Amino acid sequence: MASTEPSAAGAGAGGESSSQAAAVEPIRMPTAEEIKGQDIWNNCAVRSVVSGVMGGGLGVLMGLFFGALDNPIMAEEMTARQQIVYTAKQMGRRSISNAKTFAVMGLIFSAAECVVEKARAKHDTTNTAVAGCVTGGALAVKGGPKATCIGCAGFAAFSVAIEKFFDRHT
Amino acid sequence: MAAKGGASNFEKEQMFGMAEKEMEYRVDLFNRLTQTCFEKCIEKRYKEAELNMGENSCIDRCVSKYWQVSLLIPFLFADSIYAYSIA
Repeated sequence: MASTEPSAAGAGAGGESSSQAAAVEPIRMPTAEEIKGQDIWNNCAVRSVVSGVMGGGLGVLMGLFFGALDNPIMAEEMTARQQIVYTAKQMGRRSISNAKTFAVMGLIFSAAECVVEKARAKHDTTNTAVAGCVTGGALAVKGGPKATCIGCAGFAAFSVAIEKFFDRHT
Repeated sequence: MAAKGGASNFEKEQMFGMAEKEMEYRVDLFNRLTQTCFEKCIEKRYKEAELNMGENSCIDRCVSKYWQVSLLIPFLFADSIYAYSIA
């Protein structure tokens, strides 16, 4: 019933408007492949791994950029080739460490948001806030309980701000 | 022979009528299920065309509960009619 009614309504609308030489697409129900594709994106593990990989990529880029800006202390004593080698090593080291940090951050954030949203069955900014709190707390857990709380609050505020920023453009 | 043919015709009509009622019941159940779960689960501000994860799990749960309720209530109803007819 659901598949015939929208297509009939869409075909009727398409017939009417095609006589007026306007292009209105008939409503198309998603095919089985489209549903499977969307279902893959609904899986929490897949989402968090993809987010982790994207975070790693972002970390590599950031490490390259900021590593290139770093000036060595003994710049006067090194030849040009030594300076280039030193800068390249610096960039590589910073890239890897940044990539690890950002990958973990992306993975934890995405996994937490996915789990919370599935449990609440609602699409809200509360999911983003809780996920931000978990991520900030997990990253700052080595500094003790006070650092964990501050990290949680700060990262939650940051992720809610970013979410609101992206939402405004939708 | 003639009486048997007449009885089976009547039975056929009865069965057809019952099947029609059953079909109407099913269609009504489907329409109510769709409307209830849509109104409950999907926000009115449509920000995008696809269902997000929260709405997806909400619809899964809504359909499952509605179906269980629609299977459970006829049993309770039949039980109460049985008890009423006995007493």
